[in-house]
Amino acid sequence: MLPHPCEICKIARAQILRPKNSSRICAPCFTALFEAEAAETIIANNLFQPGERVAIGASGVLASVLKTLNERHDWKLDLVLLSIDEGIQGYRDHSLEAVKRNGADLDLPLKIVSYEELYGWSMDQVVAQIGKKGNCTYCGVFRRQALDRGAAMLNVGHVVTGHNVDDVAETVLMNLLRGDLPRLSRGTSIVTSTPSAVPQSGAQNGEKAVLFTNVKRSKPLMYAYEKEIVLYAHHKKLDYFSTECLYSPEAFRGSARTLIKNLERIRPESIMDVVRSGVDMAKLVPGSTSNCKGECSNGSTAKVASADDEEADGGCGSGTASNGSDSMADMEMKLQQNERAEANGTETEVSMPERKAEATSMGVPHNHETYLSLSPSGSTSGEVPGGLCAAKTAIIPMRTKEEKRSSRKPARDAAAPKQRLGQCERCGYLSSQAVCKACVLLDGLNKARPRTGVEVGGGD
Amino acid sequence: MPGRKPAAPKDSTLCRRCQINEPAITTKVVKRMDSFRVKHSDPGQERVLLLPLSFGACSTTLLYLLSEHMKGQVERTGRSGYKLHVLHVDEGFNSDDNASRMQLDTVKERFPEHTYSLSSLAEVTSMEGITSMFKQEAEHENQESSTPPLSMNELLSFLTSATSRTDTLQILRRRLITTFAKIHGCESILWAHSTTRLAEVTLAETAKGRGASIPWLVSDTSSPHGIQYFYPMRELLTKEIIAFSSLVEPPLIELIVRDVAKPAVSTKNTSIDDLMRQYFESVEREYPSIVANVVRTTGKLQAPEVREAEERCELCEMPLGEEAPARSRLCYGCIRTLPWVEN
Ligand SMILES: [Zn+2]
Ligand SMILES: [Zn+2]
Ligand SMILES: [Zn+2]
Repeated sequence: MLPHPCEICKIARAQILRPKNSSRICAPCFTALFEAEAAETIIANNLFQPGERVAIGASGVLASVLKTLNERHDWKLDLVLLSIDEGIQGYRDHSLEAVKRNGADLDLPLKIVSYEELYGWSMDQVVAQIGKKGNCTYCGVFRRQALDRGAAMLNVGHVVTGHNVDDVAETVLMNLLRGDLPRLSRGTSIVTSTPSAVPQSGAQNGEKAVLFTNVKRSKPLMYAYEKEIVLYAHHKKLDYFSTECLYSPEAFRGSARTLIKNLERIRPESIMDVVRSGVDMAKLVPGSTSNCKGECSNGSTAKVASADDEEADGGCGSGTASNGSDSMADMEMKLQQNERAEANGTETEVSMPERKAEATSMGVPHNHETYLSLSPSGSTSGEVPGGLCAAKTAIIPMRTKEEKRSSRKPARDAAAPKQRLGQCERCGYLSSQAVCKACVLLDGLNKARPRTGVEVGGGD
Repeated sequence: MPGRKPAAPKDSTLCRRCQINEPAITTKVVKRMDSFRVKHSDPGQERVLLLPLSFGACSTTLLYLLSEHMKGQVERTGRSGYKLHVLHVDEGFNSDDNASRMQLDTVKERFPEHTYSLSSLAEVTSMEGITSMFKQEAEHENQESSTPPLSMNELLSFLTSATSRTDTLQILRRRLITTFAKIHGCESILWAHSTTRLAEVTLAETAKGRGASIPWLVSDTSSPHGIQYFYPMRELLTKEIIAFSSLVEPPLIELIVRDVAKPAVSTKNTSIDDLMRQYFESVEREYPSIVANVVRTTGKLQAPEVREAEERCELCEMPLGEEAPARSRLCYGCIRTLPWVEN
């Protein structure tokens, strides 16, 4: 192949065939363009307030780009890296050094929060308890809250995640396949915020304490191609980690992902077009509140009625939507049951209680976006910022297994949830149920775990 | 037969499997034809509906089912609630249309009670605006509107990818059929899309950036083209229709021209529509209810109100809405599909 000059600077030799639009450009022009496009997204959507404290729950690329743009545009953002450690042996270990290096290179503080710290259960322990099938449900539900809880621990009201356009497109197709219009309508929002049902508590150390129930989420790389993120990482010598879930057999998300990959091969632009269609269709969803998306100032903010409801945004948990699991086979079975019931005029008899569906079907696990918030476990128990710890325990009374053992009775009393929009009565997290999904899952885990449970380390 | 209750006496001319399937199939289609019951039309003023016939299993089966439906109406009330105008659009751009003509005659022999027309897709190039849009845009020449219409092959040669070609052909076919229906006084168009096909359309149009147009393409609604679209087969899977068509007596098989499925040589030659067709072929096999669910849910999307004066896309004629690219008379999806239009 003859050397092509870069289509942008016309001087350097083109080294890159841009995945987004097949233009041939040189590496410096590519990285500059990548950053400029990220800045454009951020500015066009008013993602940040000047001086805002922002936790980066994401990859080396997002952290690096935000750090660069923050300085370049003088946004005065107070950036902190936030990592979640699910506690999967071998999964995080190899990336630990990279994350630490990333934090050191960028000179950004790093906070690692482990599932064990937050929930009393690492994913390895969950897998040891319930087996490989279905554990993604736990991972997703736990992750959804973990970022918010971690952010609150850092007193940060805004978490940015590394969702890229491939992820968002995948979510659009997945929600079409699952027939989930509400999620379709929310999935393309660049900002999701969970309105707090909890009144802001008093000042803490002169600052307003951030409640984990009111953490804003945004996706600054929502219009960036996954392949370009990889390229950017390569040329900037940043680490990039695959976001493939360890336990990811065929499921709605897997099916959607395969479609996206095939679409990309046929017409690379179609990834962006799926997102565009998703945004347009969101406006056609009956009762949609996103009618002014992109037009008015906060039009692209999806208000989330219930925090439980918003896991689609977090990726992994989306399979555990209130109306079913992520397994196509499970859903097929349920739909056929409904069809038969409808034919017999007995539809109500087979519709499963929501709680039961969550707790038992669990779905087939699927890919989930981890966004490289990688960490070791156990190294951070003492890192809770001073002064916040006590306040947080009051605000986040999530029970660990130890606490649960000493109070089994109330748990049983709470086992009849009533439908309402409010807070989880255990932990205060926004939930349409009396007890939120995380607490329900924990209940199940804690009940099943033998009292002698010292099998920490996931021995099986 | 059509319109009868599932428990009605069996037709002895049907084979056993058919006796079991047929009422359910018929019922699903007939209930979609509710607005064309006899009582909804005045005597002597039958409503004319256009049925585009591709000679595929779906449209041929629809023609059969509706013929039976009308016979049933006549038997019960002495007249039918509607008339059918059957249109075949020939797509062999160069060859003479003798094969199509002969095939259409065969269909006519079987169902002589309807009106039949044959058209050629190549006729779209003489429709207003089409040739000039392609010619000016593609060639950047000074040839103004007085140039002779492009041939279909010339027009297609401007489209550089399989996706663009398939997409554009679909749009032009829809435009031709819609225009034909309006010219010939048809009140509605009865598309023979199966559930499977509608699911394909939904995902393919999504991937082509045409999400905003989907309600008009998959639901029984007044299309923005000033004519009503109906999808009476929307509750039947393609595989159900194919199975059914093979069991009707006398066989429909002879009326059906099977698509010669051209195996995709490479993804470069695959279109987005091909991809979605292959995808739902396999989903339909394992998860038929999921396919149906996709169609049921997207059917709930609400088409926005279309104002008469609203600007339409020059190619697909869908309303441009407020978010159309300012300098363009094309919608987002059509900008993508026409390779010479800068994004
Ligand atoms: Zn350059
Ligand atoms: Zn809770
Ligand atoms: Zn258009």
